Amino acid sequence: MKRIAAIVLFGLSVVVPAAAQWGRPWQELSPEEQQRAWENYQRYQQMPEQRQRMIERRYHQFQSLPPQEQQRLRQNYETYRGLDPGQRRQFVEKYHRWKGRK
Amino acid sequence: MRCRRAQQMMTTAVDGELEPRRRRALDAHVAACESCRRELAATERMLSVLEALPMEAVVAEGLEQATLRRVRLAAAEEEERARAKWWRAWLPVPAVALATAAVAVLAFGVLRYSTGVSGPSGVSQSPGSHQDRVARAPAAASTPSPTARAEAPKAVDRPNEPPSELTAAPDKFMNLHILRNLEKLEHFEAIQTTTLDDEPATPGGDAQPSNG
Repeated sequence: MKRIAAIVLFGLSVVVPAAAQWGRPWQELSPEEQQRAWENYQRYQQMPEQRQRMIERRYHQFQSLPPQEQQRLRQNYETYRGLDPGQRRQFVEKYHRWKGRK
Repeated sequence: MRCRRAQQMMTTAVDGELEPRRRRALDAHVAACESCRRELAATERMLSVLEALPMEAVVAEGLEQATLRRVRLAAAEEEERARAKWWRAWLPVPAVALATAAVAVLAFGVLRYSTGVSGPSGVSQSPGSHQDRVARAPAAASTPSPTARAEAPKAVDRPNEPPSELTAAPDKFMNLHILRNLEKLEHFEAIQTTTLDDEPATPGGDAQPSNG
């Protein structure tokens, strides 16, 4: 029983912070988050329409993912962000290669 | 393919979002066109630098407070002098102006060179305030960019009443970077184990873990 409770608690500790990042109304965002969202909104407005549609599609796709999967993607993004420019360039090359093989 | 069309595709290509058929067409063009080859290399460099930049520039709180205090003092002195006799008032004005300009240049320099620090700043973040504008200037705002996608947004203050599209789905914009790279992130592990031509391939197949 204790083991199950521990697993549930661990699962919640992973899932809840991830879920809290999505679906919060504008008023509940901190000033820093509102500023970041505003800046990204401006970036979004500068994107070509096709790219905006892609982002929109991915947004709905992301929302439909289970919380664990969302958390995995978030962790992958943190890893990706932590790559130095050389590693990132290599990753992008590998991505092109991987995509070409699909 | 013409150069103009190729250059329109470059940013999307560097992000890896170009369809394979178009990517091949672009590769073929770039292989034959030195100008576009240089442009593509520059785009790759620029985007990798932009991706590595922090989202916000952070100014040390102490310096910011000291700067603002000096500006306030200078303004107060100027006001006091304005009340003095006109023939005495004009003398110190250039000195005040110079001091204010020096403080502004100093603050600007610190802002430029503090982009290596990431994370939220410790200053108060009241919307539309001077501090807000200084502490939150986009780090890449001065980086020239040939593409609209890579451009940092202009330093426009956040409006009191944000657009409805933003308030309807703020998480979409807060997590824009994740959404932009979603395909990469979904297949992150598989991509990392993909081998490039210059890497030794394993005898049993082409999937080999790398350091990336």
